[in-house]
Amino acid sequence: MTALTAPAATGTAHTHGSPRLTRWLLRLHRSALLVWTVFVLLGSALLLWLAGPLTDAAAEGWRQYNACGTTPRCSYDQDAILFYKSTYNYVAAAMAGLPFLVAAWAGAALTGRELESGTAQLAWTQGVSPTRWLALRLAVPAVAVTAGASLLVLLHHRAWSAAQGRIDTGKPWHDVWTFHANGPTTVALALAGLVAGALAGLVLRRTLPALLLGLALAAGVWGTAQLLMPHLWPAVTEETSLQQGYGHLYSGIQVDHGLITASGGHVPKLECYTTVSGGCARELEKLDAVGYYSTYHPVSHYWPLQLTTGALVLAVAGLGTAAAFWLLRHRTATPRTTA
Amino acid sequence: MTTHTRAALEAVALGKRFGRRGGWALRDCAFRLPAGRICAVVGPNGAGKSTLLALAAGLLGPTEGSVSVLGADPARARARVGFVAQGKPLHPQLTVAETLRMGADLNPGRWDRATAERVVTAGGLDPDARIRSLSGGQHTRVALALALGKRTELLLLDEPMADLDPLARHDLMGLLMGQSAQHGTTIVMSSHVVAELEDSCDHLLLLGGGRIRLAGDIDELLAAHTRLSVPAGSADLSTHTVVESRTTGRQLSALIRPGAAPLPADWRTGPPTLEDLILAHLRNPGATALTTTAPARTEEIRQTEQTEETTA
Repeated sequence: MTALTAPAATGTAHTHGSPRLTRWLLRLHRSALLVWTVFVLLGSALLLWLAGPLTDAAAEGWRQYNACGTTPRCSYDQDAILFYKSTYNYVAAAMAGLPFLVAAWAGAALTGRELESGTAQLAWTQGVSPTRWLALRLAVPAVAVTAGASLLVLLHHRAWSAAQGRIDTGKPWHDVWTFHANGPTTVALALAGLVAGALAGLVLRRTLPALLLGLALAAGVWGTAQLLMPHLWPAVTEETSLQQGYGHLYSGIQVDHGLITASGGHVPKLECYTTVSGGCARELEKLDAVGYYSTYHPVSHYWPLQLTTGALVLAVAGLGTAAAFWLLRHRTATPRTTA
Repeated sequence: MTTHTRAALEAVALGKRFGRRGGWALRDCAFRLPAGRICAVVGPNGAGKSTLLALAAGLLGPTEGSVSVLGADPARARARVGFVAQGKPLHPQLTVAETLRMGADLNPGRWDRATAERVVTAGGLDPDARIRSLSGGQHTRVALALALGKRTELLLLDEPMADLDPLARHDLMGLLMGQSAQHGTTIVMSSHVVAELEDSCDHLLLLGGGRIRLAGDIDELLAAHTRLSVPAGSADLSTHTVVESRTTGRQLSALIRPGAAPLPADWRTGPPTLEDLILAHLRNPGATALTTTAPARTEEIRQTEQTEETTA
């Protein structure tokens, strides 16, 4: 957006072709690019390994275990099952940490350090306008982050799908880490992390504080997204009788659950699952309960939730970007319209 | 007195405050620097020198007033202005050769490779040396090479010689003078070492407490002041602007701006040195400021000021 004003700001330099900024951005952040490439390649290799050999071995282990039935002494490949589980968890944790990794880097290295050491100002006096400098610093990493994170997400979804129905301890779709690692929300969160870090660096202009603020902002975005996510799409409410017990409790993304009274009212979050035990029975009678209700998101809501949450996060990232440009233009000399 | 040649730098009511409740780093700054001059920006630490240069380079936006550079606003003049900040920031991970290549890439069409390389090789620098391995003086040399390589009409240098040994200082000063003579580049450099600037600069901008104390051609400024020494109690200085006066024993010595009336013939007078002039103004912040080259728009104000001075 604001980048469009940049060529005018560079004046006569523009007539001789644009300054080759991208080349130097990549050169200056060569090590970061290398680390990111290794991260993506290693993650991809792990996910391919997880989807293939590890899933097969763990599935075979579960088949053996289930075939044991009640036989007291029966051998099954427990190591394969445990190895699958820990590998899956490590990969999921790494993917969950992705937005924070990006935020920390962006805050510290991309903007904070350059403003602290004055190399940003050096660029601004070397024919690069501040808006153009920032536009490029957001756009190039955004491309790299989007490409890498998308690849990881696709491979994660593939690996997760391969285990469905074959590995009994496979994570359900609504497991919080799996939910994000399986879909575009991870990419959106990583982009928001980039903006959070860049903004933190611009605000604080110091490396270490910007790293910490970048992390805090990214955590704020993550927490807000997690908090709002169940409410971004209408949930399903299931009502069951007292005899049937709860229907789908904790089998999807849970929004609310509780008791239905005779008057049709809802009493939320009463953890009474049975009419048999004494205390609960008295409690249910006192409330005049006639059934249970459970409000949740079934698996069919996966994509609507992914897309609305992703869109929300991207909107926040957009606001952050606008704030970063506003701050930079406010602080430095910007072309006067009357000039 | 005001020359109407093109201005390299012109400030009108320029002010900069950091933070909403912070103090003013620079206030009511008005002056005009004609193109082709070599201007010294002098003042004690915290006088606003770096702020003024950063405003001119477009690194900061003014809080009030305006500054124009080569007839344009600083944001539009970036390509024609070179700047070396006080800390001489460079990317530590690049080599000397890479740093110059970056300069060439970022300034397409206005990069003078020969000059940039000459500055670096004259210092005996290894092109493959990393910036982080350079000494302070070598570092400054590369920063200057980057600024000089960019073919600019105005060079803004913030304390450029601070960490150089006398030999390198002499060497680089010569290089700057040569650049100015050859291309007519205007050079503005700040320093708090007066001796460093006396021989090479023809224009002075003296800042104190964020305000301009003196601005103008050095010869004109010197000519406007007189140092005198008279017996205490015998002299009436009321028709002149007294910048500083001191009584030692029965002797009164003063630095004045003579008014319209001629000085009595029996007064012992003499021309001040540049150092006298600067120190007297810094020691006496209450003395009226003098601007011999005011921007066109503040000409009127200057006239009023001078009238006040003569009637004071």
